[in-house]
Amino acid sequence: MRCRLDSLSLIVCLHLLSIDGDDDKGERSQIGDTMTVAAGVGYVLIALGPALSLFASVIAKKPFLILTLLSSTLFWLISLIILAGAWRAFLPVKSTELWPYSILILTSVGFQEGIRIGFWRLFKKMEDMLNAFADRVSKPRLFLTDKMQLALAGGLGHGLAHAVFFCLSLLTPAFGPATFYVDKCPSIPFFLISAIIALGFVIIHTFSMVIAFNGYTEGKRKDQIFVPFAHLIAALITLINLVPGGCNIGLPLLCIMAGTTLYYSWQLVWRRLTEHQTTRSSD
Amino acid sequence: MARVRVFLAVLFLLFTSSPVHGADNGSDSVLESVPDLEKAMYLNLKSYPCVRLLNLSGEIGCSNPGNDKISAPIVRLKSGTIRLARPSTVLLQEEQMQDFFLRVSGDLEFSKNVAGVLVEPSETVNMSSGFSPADKFPQSAFAPYSNTSYEWNLPGSGIMWNKYDFPVFLLAEESISTLKEIVGERNEASPENVAEFDLVMQTTKLGTHDSETCLKEQTCLPLGGYSVWSSLPPINISSTVTKPIVFAVASFDSASFFRDRSLGADSPISGLIALLTAVDALSHVNHLKNLKKQLVFAVLTGEAWGYLGSRKFLQELDLGSDSIRGLSSSMIEQIVEIGSVGQSLGKGGTLFYAHAGGESSGTKVILKALEDASESLGSDNVKVKKASSMNPGIPPSSLMAFLRKNTSASGIVLGDFDSAFSNKFYHSHLDNACKLKIFFFKRKITKKMFFLHFYQVIFCSTTANIKTSSVAAAAALVARALYIIANGDATLDLMALNDIKVNVSLVEELVGCLVTCEPGLSCELVGRYISPSNGDCPSHYVGVFQDTPSASQKPSYVDDTSRFLWNFLADMTSATRDGTDSCTGDCSNVGDVCIGSETEGGGKCVISTTRYVPAYSTRLKYENNIWHVLPANPSDPMESVDPVWTESYWNTIGLRVYKVESPLYDRLVLAGGVFVTFASYLAVVIARTQLAKVVKRD
Repeated sequence: MRCRLDSLSLIVCLHLLSIDGDDDKGERSQIGDTMTVAAGVGYVLIALGPALSLFASVIAKKPFLILTLLSSTLFWLISLIILAGAWRAFLPVKSTELWPYSILILTSVGFQEGIRIGFWRLFKKMEDMLNAFADRVSKPRLFLTDKMQLALAGGLGHGLAHAVFFCLSLLTPAFGPATFYVDKCPSIPFFLISAIIALGFVIIHTFSMVIAFNGYTEGKRKDQIFVPFAHLIAALITLINLVPGGCNIGLPLLCIMAGTTLYYSWQLVWRRLTEHQTTRSSD
Repeated sequence: MARVRVFLAVLFLLFTSSPVHGADNGSDSVLESVPDLEKAMYLNLKSYPCVRLLNLSGEIGCSNPGNDKISAPIVRLKSGTIRLARPSTVLLQEEQMQDFFLRVSGDLEFSKNVAGVLVEPSETVNMSSGFSPADKFPQSAFAPYSNTSYEWNLPGSGIMWNKYDFPVFLLAEESISTLKEIVGERNEASPENVAEFDLVMQTTKLGTHDSETCLKEQTCLPLGGYSVWSSLPPINISSTVTKPIVFAVASFDSASFFRDRSLGADSPISGLIALLTAVDALSHVNHLKNLKKQLVFAVLTGEAWGYLGSRKFLQELDLGSDSIRGLSSSMIEQIVEIGSVGQSLGKGGTLFYAHAGGESSGTKVILKALEDASESLGSDNVKVKKASSMNPGIPPSSLMAFLRKNTSASGIVLGDFDSAFSNKFYHSHLDNACKLKIFFFKRKITKKMFFLHFYQVIFCSTTANIKTSSVAAAAALVARALYIIANGDATLDLMALNDIKVNVSLVEELVGCLVTCEPGLSCELVGRYISPSNGDCPSHYVGVFQDTPSASQKPSYVDDTSRFLWNFLADMTSATRDGTDSCTGDCSNVGDVCIGSETEGGGKCVISTTRYVPAYSTRLKYENNIWHVLPANPSDPMESVDPVWTESYWNTIGLRVYKVESPLYDRLVLAGGVFVTFASYLAVVIARTQLAKVVKRD
C-alpha cells in the first residue's frame, strides 16, 4: 500500500496505508539530546492529552468502558483495512489535483459513517442484553449517563486509533535531533502539524459518537446529519493542507471544527440530561 | 449491510480507469514509511574526508576532537568574517581553502569556534593561480643537495601537513545541489541547518599521538603498498643477469588534502602512462635480446610519503631477496625517471626538460640518447632540453632516493617543467583529468512554489590538467631513448629505431582508466586483467600496508592499481607460450606467471619476469603481529629523516545534514503538550461536576 506522506490529508492517505507499515526500521536515527526528547514527549502530549485525561477520569474507573474502548478501536481499524483493500487498485494517487482525494475522502467517510450505524445497532443489542441481565439479577438498568459514557468510550476508541495510527506511528524520528518541514508548509514543523491534526480528530471522533448515539436513540434528524457532515467537512479541510501554505488555514479550521463538535455535544448532553432529570422528577 | 455492499460495488465500477497522473512534482519525494521519513530528514552527503595521519613526531590531518560525533550549524564563510560567534560548521568555497586553513593554524581565537569544515567544489574552476596543499619543496629533507629552501612548487601552501582538531570534508559534485537547497533556504524564521560529522579516529580515542605509540597500541597502520617491476625481455631466472641494466622508473602514488581524492593526473600518473606506453611500444621490437643492455621497468608507490617504494626497493636489492631476483644493484648503469609530462604542449610542439642527477659521464649518455631520440622523431617535433643550471639539482623524484643511496649512480628525471613545476595543482584534489564544470538551472515549478529547485548538469570541460598528446610525445621520446641507451655503443639500427611507434589510443585509454571516474577502473583495458574491488573511481593514495610482509609473490592485500600494473606489465613484457593454459593462480612451469587470473575466463600463463616488491618504510619491521619502529640505520642518511607515516584506524566516517529547531521551541512544545493535557483534565473534571449536579444521583 503506497501513500504520499507529504500530502497532509492524512485521513485519506493513511486510511489506506497497510497496518504493519513500519516494522522495517533500517536506519535508526540517534536519540538526540534531552531537548529533542522533550519535543517528542510534547508532541505525544499534544496529540493524546485530552484522550489521556478522558481515559484517566472517566473510562479507567469502569472496566466495561475500557472494553468498549478497545473493541471500538478494533472496529475502526477493521474498517480501515476494508477501505484499504477496496481502494488498493487505485493507489497510489499520483495527482496534484485535489479532486481524486476528495473522492477518496467521500467514500471513506461514507463507509465509516455507515459502520457507525452498525456499531450503534450492536450497541443497542448489547444494551438490551445488559438490561435483560440486570432484570434477572434485580439490579438497576443502564442509566442515561451510563449509555453516554459508553458512547464516549466508543468515540474515544475511534479517536485513539486515529491518533496512534496517523500521528504516533510517525513520531519516532521526532525524538531525534532533527526536525522536518514539508515543502508545502514551510512555517510549521511536520510533527507539530501531525499532532494538532490528531488532537482535532480525537475530539471530533470522541464527541461525534456521543452525538450520533443520542441522535439514533432519539431519532433526531439534526443530530444524525450533523455527525457525518462534521466528519466529512473535517476530512475535506485537511485537503487544504495539500495546497502550498494551506496548512496555515487548514489547521485553525480543523480546530474550529473540533471545537464546534465539542460544543454541540456539550449542548446536546446538557439538554438531554436536564430533560431526563425533569421527566424523572415528574414521575 | 448487503445494500451497502452493492452500493460500494457500483461506486467502484465507476472508477475503473487508472488514476490521473498529474505532473509529478520533482521536489516532493514520495515518502512511504518511517525509514523514508528519516532518510528525508537526515540527508547523507556524499563527501571525501581528510583523515588523521601520524609520523614519528606528531600528527597531521583532521579528526573529531573526541570520541563522539560533532554537530554544528552551517555557516557560509564570508570574506569579512573576523570571528565566529559560536561553534559552527564553516562552509567554504575551494578558492577560500588556502587562506582559511592558514588562518586557522595561526589564529586560536578564530579556530576554537570552528567545529567542522565543508568544502564546496567550485562551479567554475577558476583558480588560475593554482592550488597546492603541499610544501613549496615537497620532501626537501630527502634531497641530495643542501638548498632545501628552493621553491619547486610555487603555489604550495603546506596546509595538508598541519594538524587540525576538527573534521574537514570535501563535498562531491553530486551533493552540491542538495547543499544549495539546504543552505539557500535560510532565512531568520527557518530552523537551522546542522552538519553532523562522524570522523572519530582511533588514535584520538586512545590517546596515541605519534607513529611509535600508535603502532604499538595497534591503533594505526603504516602507509605502504606494492611496487611492480618487470624486465623486457624476460630474464632467465636460473642465471643471474650479466648484462648491465637500464632502469626506467615512474611512480604511481599521489597525495592530497582529502584521502580519497588523490588522482594525481599530471603528477605523477602522466609519467606512469608515458612509461606504460613506452613499454608497449618497445615490446614490439624483435631483437631486444641482442641489445647490449637489459631493459628493466619499475613502477613505485609510496613515493609521496617518504619515498617508501624506492627506498624499500633499494633495501631489497641490498638484501638480495626473492622479490628482486634477477637484478643486482651493481649492474644498474642508467636510471631514467619519467616525472610529470602531461603539460608540455606549447607553441610549436612539445618540449621536455631533462634534470640530470649524479655522475656526469652516465648522465651524458642518457642526454645524448634523448637528443638522438628527439631528432629521430623529426616532424613530430618533440624536443628535449637540459634543465637550467640555476636549479639546485633534480626535482623531488624517486631518483633522489637512488642518488642518496648510491652516489655513483646516474640518472635523469624527464619532466614538462624547468625551474619549477608547471603543474599548478601538485598534490591536490584538483590534479585531475576532467575539470568539472557545473551548471545550475533554477526552475520555478509552478507560480505558487516557494522554493527554487536546482538541477545540475556536470560535464568535463576540455581544460584538463593532463594532455594526452603531451604524454604520448613523452612516451615516444622515452621509448626511443631507452632503445638507444640499451643499444650501448653498438651501431644503431635506424630502421628499428624508427619503427618504434607509440599507440596514442592506448594513452587515451589509460588516461580514461586511471585518471577519470568515467569509465574509471571499469574500463575495458582494466577489465581484461583484474576485477576492481574498490569501485570505479581510481584513487592513487598509497593507502595502508595491510599485509603481513612475506616473501611470497601472491600478497593478499594489493590495491587495484598495483594489480592492474602487474598484469599489464607482465602482459607487455611477456613471451607468450604456445597453447596458453588457463590458470587461476600458479602455472605449471616454474618462472611463468598467470595474468588475468581474477577475470571471468580465468587467466593465461606467460613467460614473464614481473614481480611485486613491497613498499613500506625501511625503518619498520613486522614481528609478533605488531609493527616495530627500528632505530635509524646510520649508514643510510634517509632513514634519519624518514617520518614513518601511519594512518589512524577509524570505525565509520560519515557526514549528514539536518534541520534542528531552537531549544526554546522544544521547550515550548513540551510546555504546550503539558498544558493541553492539564487543561483538558481540568475541563473534564469541571464538566463532570456540572453534569453530576444536573443528574443529582442519590
